[in-house]
This record gives sequence, structure tokens and C-alpha cells, in this order.
Amino acid sequence: MRTLRLLRRRRALLNCAPISHDRLADRPMRAAVSRENGSDEFVNQQNFDRAVAELIRLVPIPPESAEWFLDKEAIRAPRWTWRKIVLNPAVLAISIAVVVIAGVFAFHLLGRLDDFPGSATARKLLTVAGSTRSVMLDPVSAEAGTLSDLFFMKHGLEHYDVPEEFADFQTIGCRVFDDDESQRIAQIWVGEKHMQFFLFPAERDTKTGAVLTFPGWRYVRQEGWVGAVKQQNGVCFMAVLKGREKDLEPYLSGPKE
Amino acid sequence: MSDRKQNLPQLYRFCFLMLGDLRKAQDVFNTTLREAAVRAAQGELPKESFWLFREARWRCLEASKMDLQPESVQIDEHDIAPQAASQIKQLEPAQLAIWISAAPDPQRTALALFYLDEFNYVEILDIAELKLGTLSRCLAQGRRQLQAWLDAKHSGASKE
Repeated sequence: MRTLRLLRRRRALLNCAPISHDRLADRPMRAAVSRENGSDEFVNQQNFDRAVAELIRLVPIPPESAEWFLDKEAIRAPRWTWRKIVLNPAVLAISIAVVVIAGVFAFHLLGRLDDFPGSATARKLLTVAGSTRSVMLDPVSAEAGTLSDLFFMKHGLEHYDVPEEFADFQTIGCRVFDDDESQRIAQIWVGEKHMQFFLFPAERDTKTGAVLTFPGWRYVRQEGWVGAVKQQNGVCFMAVLKGREKDLEPYLSGPKE
Repeated sequence: MSDRKQNLPQLYRFCFLMLGDLRKAQDVFNTTLREAAVRAAQGELPKESFWLFREARWRCLEASKMDLQPESVQIDEHDIAPQAASQIKQLEPAQLAIWISAAPDPQRTALALFYLDEFNYVEILDIAELKLGTLSRCLAQGRRQLQAWLDAKHSGASKE
């Protein structure tokens, strides 16, 4: 049964055997032709086909139709140039989308580069600094460094110490409040350049509860306000003013990042 | 498009074989190319290979619909003779074209595409949308019928 089917297929291929040998399309056709090559019947068929094809090649082309042969470009698909590819609406839309996505990604990445444990809280407190008026604080006139005793005695806040770089500044007022995460925040207003200080608990590892430390001073920026943050004894101190990092730099000692 | 896919002289010959009439072949050839030029200008050229031949084929079939249709009669068939090649050489191209154009489709398309000697059988199956068995039958029957016609023509000529 299979043999019969193969024979029938070979016969079918032979009936379609190409006139020119360079048109042997595939292996089954090549196999069928090479098997039959030389048989009288196939030779007759090939001679017959060749004669018909030669006759057809003699079909004259009228001059009116031959004009088309000179203008083949007219029916050729236009070639793609770089300019065309770039100005293609789909390519343009995709390119813009990729640039926007890359921009957002880079923005987030750059933002992350400045991150340190407690930076999120520090940024929130910069907003607080921007909206605080001096009347909102309890008036206190003392050296900033002495307020750590006040915070400990009155509010039970341990290690809420102002670093020595800012300890000598005269205060105008201070207050202690809870932020939206119920963290105790101490805020101090000093006369020097209308600077504000914030003291808040350092960020802790959620699993172990250990304080996440970082060395030296770190800067945070938000809407024209800049803060310099330092962490010591599980408490972060942040000095804030409206301006730029270079305005805070003269007050800081030790490594700055 | 490669030159083979856009072999315009062969496209014209294909139209001529399909229609057997110089004027009609020219009309279909020109219309097909005009339409292709418009589509090229709009950047809407089809991506398939040999689409020009496919388009021309449908136009030829459409154009010949209006013609007188051949009666379906039993056509003689003869085995291919060894002297067939010399018999064919005595024909005019137009005579052969008329004979092919009188064949019913798909035999007409099969013969026209095959004897252009432009395509391999796989490409013919694609352009004419045929199966191997049908193409094989059309060609085998076509050869035998053409041989019978050649024999009749030559025996008639020798009697004269």
C-alpha cells in the first residue's frame, strides 16, 4: 500500500519535472528525476516540454507593454532609509516611550544613590521644616547642646543629643511631637541662619531590630530645603536650612557624602 | 523584489498564454502593473512572493469569464511521440497560446505557469493554489491532449 502511494507520488513529481535542471526544487523531485533519467518516456516528455518552452520564449512583447520594463522601480517597494525608519510613527512612539521609561528609571536610580537608613523620614521632616512657624514651638533660649537633658527629663528621650558641631548654637524654641509612624521627633529652632534641628530614632532592621548605621554626614534635599543627617547612639540628628548643600558644609566636620 | 519575482516579460507572456489574445493580454498586463504602481506609491505592496503573477492570474480568469466558453467535449489524448519536438517547432507562438487559453482552469493556469519555465513545481502550486496531484494531472493530460492536437494538425496538413 505504501509502495503504491510512493509510486503514485513519484509519478506525480515526474509529471511536474522541471524543464530546466536548475529548477529542481527539492530532494524528492531530484530523486524522482534521477531515478527516471534515461527512460524513453521521460526523455520524450522532457523533449516535448523543452520544445513548448522554447516556442513560448518566442512570444513577442508589444512595445507598449515593453515600456514597463524600463520603469521597474515604479512597482518596487520603497527602500527603507534611516530617516524613514526614525520618522515612522510606530518607531517614534516606541523611542519616546523607551526614553521616558529610561528617564524615570534613571531618576529613581539617582534618587536611590543618595538613600541611607532613615532618609525617608529625613525627607518627610524637611517638609515639616518648610511648614513650621516659630510660634508653633515652645520658646527656649539656651545652647542647643543643653537640650538633650530637657528631652530626657521631660519626654524620656534617651540619646537625643545635638552633635558638637551644632551644640553651641542659641535656640529660639523646641518641641517634641509624634510623626505619622508614631516616632518621637524632637525639633529645635536656632537663630543661626534660621536653621532647624531634628532628632529622630534611627531606622532599624525589621527582622533583628538592630540599628542600621551609616558613617558621617549624609545630605537630603526636598523642595529647596537641604538637610545634613548624622546617626549616633541609635538616634539621627538632622540640621536643616532653606538653601543648598554648600550653605551647610561650613558647619560640618568629618566625612561628608 | 528580486528580478525573478518581477520578471515582467514573463508576466506578459503568462497573460498571453492565459488569454490567447494580444489585446486582452496587454490590457490585463497593463492594468496589473498600473495597480501595482499605485500600491507601491502608497507603500502597500504585498509581501508574498510572485504576487504579481497571482494578481495577473485572477485578472485573466476574470477577463475570460465574459468570453465564449468552450463546450465540454471529450478531447483526444495521445502518447507523447518522439517527433513531438519537431511538430511543436512548426507551430506559431500564438497558436500555442490560443490552444492553452482554450483549456479549462486550473489546467490553463498550470500549463501557462509550467511552460514559462520560470517557476519550480512548488512555486507553481503556491501561485495557482493547487495540490501536487491536481497539477500533475493537469500537466500530464495537457501534454497528451496537445500531442493529439499536434497529430491531428499534422495529419490534416499532410492530407492537404
